[in-house]
Amino acid sequence: MLGAARALLAVSALAASAHAAPPPAQDYVLECRGCHGARGDGAPGKVPALAQSARFLPTRRGRSYLVRVPGVAGSQLSSARIATLLNWMLRELATDPPAPRAFAPFTEAEVTRERAKTLLDPIAERAAIVAANR
Amino acid sequence: MNTLDRWLERRARGLARTTSRRSFLARLGVLLAGGATLPLLPVARAQAQSAARTAKPGEPPIDTPVGDPASCEYWRHCAIDGFLCSCCGGSQTACPPGTQMSPVTWIGTCRNPQDGKDYIISYNDCCGKDFCGRCSCNHNEGERPVYFPQRSNDINWCIGAESTVYHCSTAIVLGVATEE
Repeated sequence: MLGAARALLAVSALAASAHAAPPPAQDYVLECRGCHGARGDGAPGKVPALAQSARFLPTRRGRSYLVRVPGVAGSQLSSARIATLLNWMLRELATDPPAPRAFAPFTEAEVTRERAKTLLDPIAERAAIVAANR
Repeated sequence: MNTLDRWLERRARGLARTTSRRSFLARLGVLLAGGATLPLLPVARAQAQSAARTAKPGEPPIDTPVGDPASCEYWRHCAIDGFLCSCCGGSQTACPPGTQMSPVTWIGTCRNPQDGKDYIISYNDCCGKDFCGRCSCNHNEGERPVYFPQRSNDINWCIGAESTVYHCSTAIVLGVATEE
């Protein structure tokens, strides 16, 4: 009887862990790391460095860009998982400059709203934001 | 007299049974047969298996029979599309001499049938030499069309290398995946 109860507990614990979303670090590996690299360094001239992603935080247009960029907006992740992933990325990979400790985290609602706005020319948009920040 | 005779005979026969060459051979036989049978017992096998499993942290045990890394059917190749570097002078984790590993790649997961876990696999291409042509392999588990480039194996991932000429593909384990 005790054995059966233990087995039931083990099974329900297993079921609970199976339903939990994978951690953002794993989403990063499967969705981003292939191009942006293990530490978000990118490849000069080919893949932008995520180490610089905190530069886009101060303005609404910049925040919007981080969500609308095709790799993010077009990924197969839910908006909630994208929000978690972006917040993880800003805390873990942004070093140039580091993200402020108290930055407003992305929410599922913000990601849902912004990813719906198709970004037709991501390269021009990025250049315009970087130029405006100077 | 008769009793003494029988007693002596019993003792003599007993002595002959326990100390003769035959007795020695019988004991040797038991030792040989028993020694050979011992590793076949489940206890011995379980011990050997647990020693192998603790050998490589993070990676599945490679000395358990998981298959041939130079075979297309090897579990790590569940979503590889190209020539296996293991057949081209490299290995499943290293490029053949004279080629460069592309820094950009696509990353997927494969289930290891030995432990039932999903492993994250990075399929870095090796670039800079004409295509290898040996051990062509095309498996597409979890692979997506090219409009999800980060999940597509139909792309020439040598786009990130110095030379875009494709030679072969590796299958590098990055870690264990958490289930969804």
